[in-house]
Amino acid sequence: MDKIKSKEIVFFGKITAGITHEIKNVLAIIQESSGLMEDILAITPDETFPRKDKFNISLKRISGQIDRGVDITTRLNKFAHSPDHSPDHVDLNEVSEQMVLLASRFARLKNVAIEADPHDAPMIIHTHPVALEMALFESIEILLNALSSGGKIRLYPRKIQDRYVFGICYEGTIPSRADVSPAVSSSGRWASLQETMAYLGGTAKAFDPGLEILLYFPQSVNT
Amino acid sequence: MVQLKVLLVDDEKEFVTTLAERLELRGMDVDIATDGEMALGLVETDPPQVVVLDVMMPGLGGMEVLERIKAVDSSIQVILLTGHGGTKDGIKGMQLGAFDYLIKPVDIDELIEKLNEAAKNGL
Repeated sequence: MDKIKSKEIVFFGKITAGITHEIKNVLAIIQESSGLMEDILAITPDETFPRKDKFNISLKRISGQIDRGVDITTRLNKFAHSPDHSPDHVDLNEVSEQMVLLASRFARLKNVAIEADPHDAPMIIHTHPVALEMALFESIEILLNALSSGGKIRLYPRKIQDRYVFGICYEGTIPSRADVSPAVSSSGRWASLQETMAYLGGTAKAFDPGLEILLYFPQSVNT
Repeated sequence: MVQLKVLLVDDEKEFVTTLAERLELRGMDVDIATDGEMALGLVETDPPQVVVLDVMMPGLGGMEVLERIKAVDSSIQVILLTGHGGTKDGIKGMQLGAFDYLIKPVDIDELIEKLNEAAKNGL
């Protein structure tokens, strides 16, 4: 059963990665087509093209959305390749930036911003990439569910002595500290996070009641 | 000023035709090919100075086309267009003789700069 589950994840990732290539090709065609329109507008005299400025503004908007689409598909592609090799070497700094994009939509629904605050040196551990991303996503969800709307979640991987720690910290208005702590530790998600962290050979702790979740990872997961 | 002769190779016809028009507006002489065989034919009959070559194509892949272009005429410069696995494919291509690589979708100004550098390198 576990073997089939693993195969399902790899299959899902492979198909998703393939589709991101196709989406990128679509974006490339849109980019060149809007770029060609910009080129033609640039050599067209203003007096022969009424509302030229409005066309240029629209084309710039299209260009901005293409950049956004490329960024999203690039990160989705990377995420889809996560199950290719497990365990694998992973840089927690890169994962923090990856998670910003993967979780930002969920955070936006609660008007919460997410930002990565990478460490100033590489933070490479040997772990299961999909389970790692799952643990981080679960932590973000726990904070989103426990706290009120607005504010910011900061993702900050750090090395403290020999320990690899990934902090997920909420910075915003807390409804009531007494309300927050039970909500975090009693949620079904918290039990699920503990289970994921145990699989990764690590632990999860909630600090400063509910404001912050710290995930402790070993440098190398036991296989 | 000598007109730069470029061959664009990509199986996405809409992509190469539009990009070709943009380069022609900037004074370049551009041919297009939508597969590896077609590209190799043009390299033999009407050699370009620089080839912009997609890595992921059905049939003959970009790396094989690159090797065969270099076997025909090593002075032809090749710029690879790579997808998500950009760096890995790009480095492999440069080991096979590519001038450089760009990740799709490309910025037109960056492409033009790279085309000019490649052309100088091929002189």
